[in-house]
Amino acid sequence: MDPALIGLVAFAVMLVLLAIRVPIAFALIGVATLAAFTIFAFRTGTFMPERAFRATSSLVFSNSFDLLHSFDLSMIPLFIALGNIAYRAGITTAVYDAAKVWLLRLRGGIAVASVMGCGGFSAITGSSLACASTMGKICTPEMLRLGYDPRLATASVAAGGTLGSLIPPSILFIIYAIFTETSVNKLFIAGILPGLLTLAGFVLVIAMWIKADPAAVPARGEAASFADKMAAFRRAWPAALIFAVIVVGIYGGYFTATAAAAVCVVLTVLIGLAQRQLDLAGIWQAVRETCVQTSAIFFVAAGAKIFVAAIALTGMAPALVEWVSQAEFSTATLLFAICVVYLVLGMFLDPIGIMVLTLPLVVPLVESYGLNLIWFGVVVVKLLEIGLITPPVGLNVFVLSNVVGKDAPVGMVFSGIWRFLSIDVVVLLLLVAFPSISLVLSNAVQ
Amino acid sequence: MLRRLERVFVDVSAAAIIMLALLIFADVVALNLFSSSVPDTIVIVRELMVLAIVMPLAAATAHRAHIAVEFLTNLLPPRVSGWLTVFGTLFGLLALSPILYSGGREFLHQWQTGSVFYGDLNLPQWPGRLAFVLGIALGWLRLAVMAVDDALTLMRGGAIAPHKT
Repeated sequence: MDPALIGLVAFAVMLVLLAIRVPIAFALIGVATLAAFTIFAFRTGTFMPERAFRATSSLVFSNSFDLLHSFDLSMIPLFIALGNIAYRAGITTAVYDAAKVWLLRLRGGIAVASVMGCGGFSAITGSSLACASTMGKICTPEMLRLGYDPRLATASVAAGGTLGSLIPPSILFIIYAIFTETSVNKLFIAGILPGLLTLAGFVLVIAMWIKADPAAVPARGEAASFADKMAAFRRAWPAALIFAVIVVGIYGGYFTATAAAAVCVVLTVLIGLAQRQLDLAGIWQAVRETCVQTSAIFFVAAGAKIFVAAIALTGMAPALVEWVSQAEFSTATLLFAICVVYLVLGMFLDPIGIMVLTLPLVVPLVESYGLNLIWFGVVVVKLLEIGLITPPVGLNVFVLSNVVGKDAPVGMVFSGIWRFLSIDVVVLLLLVAFPSISLVLSNAVQ
Repeated sequence: MLRRLERVFVDVSAAAIIMLALLIFADVVALNLFSSSVPDTIVIVRELMVLAIVMPLAAATAHRAHIAVEFLTNLLPPRVSGWLTVFGTLFGLLALSPILYSGGREFLHQWQTGSVFYGDLNLPQWPGRLAFVLGIALGWLRLAVMAVDDALTLMRGGAIAPHKT
């Protein structure tokens, strides 16, 4: 049997299994195992199941175990633990509280504070969905109570939640780094400016929304006193410190992303205990939650590793590279096609699923065009970020609608999200057109 | 019994994550303040990672925490969607079987040969493999129980509990 044909069938079966809600990890592992077994069994032209059994068994074990048995990837459970512990210590939401106090006099200040709070939350947890879920419970009800347009109150938080993908630490960057063998440190740093650019874009959208429809927000509130502002600022310092440790530590070459994760976990526990926001039972519960979340993520990654190994046996990636090079597509055409594929997939699949399914084929193509994989990682994560708020699936929108309840039906959130989507597309175009936005800081990483 | 084992496995995993953080933190401190390092940090962290990731597999499965695409199945009647969930669980059983088999084979090999990691402490290689097999085995068992439970629930006209995360 032709290995390339087996590869194509494997992709088709995979899509069918995903469509009928087979968990991504199981679909990847099952299909990859069957594909590898078939290729090994027919390798010599005649069916040799015994030999194929041994080879497949070895491929399945080495790819799954080696992924888990990794020092560098210990940053994933550590960063997830950091987010869970910081949340219990009240550190993740302190940025929002501080921004709210400082922006009380600004029209639409709570919406701006929500987006900034989402940025701060993401900077610690690295998870867009956790951000939308948590901030949705806090910011949206408050905005609705104060008389904000429900579309603005919901869409600003759903969009703000996506910042978690770009602002370090980002779980998506870590997974991208696993499959492209690029530096997580550089990816983290590369995400900072695009993340801040997106944040600024979202604030601009809110300002333009209010200018076009002044009734979308209530009248200015009374300014907070200087003492209140200082108190709010003091509450936010742990979040700023954690972010600074991660960025300065990595950027300055003081430690790796893995070490940064461990240092920040210890730091967060100490701050939480010192501020009496945490007790040992709370820490233990946060770490137990981390275990379940980490296990689910890692099994997708392990499945993807096995899938990538099976796809390598089919020779599909080199065949695709050869086909594209013969077609002589320009770099712009290639990038346009990749963007369209990611945007379409982003409408239906979750970001981790898209990444593990596409990278085995897309990365060899991008490399064959001599494109920078760090920059491409930023573009991919930006595309996945857009997918989180794109109809009809837009996971962040569904999560927000779910946590807010009847005041935030999915259709209403989507009706407000297009303005944020527009600015996302503008930022994406800027990132594609000017790679230096992503690379200027990462190139200086020591 | 299964639930109790799952809780114990999650506790072991949680302890492993705490040890990961403390060990790497201690290594950073040792490196920056004393220009030395904790012996065999990399090997110990790698072994702890296996505990941290694989041991909660059964609990993650019981929480229905595995990432899945729900867009299309949400449009289907609950009964059809329920049977698709059962199919996904059965497929999971099929998918984990080769990993369980190959993991068991690898553990036995390491146990019999007594292989060790090269380093200061010469730590044995079998504990990580054993943890891997135990975690996958418990996850496999949980999937089997869920497949039966869910199928029985659907046959009695009930509905399957939604994903918890």
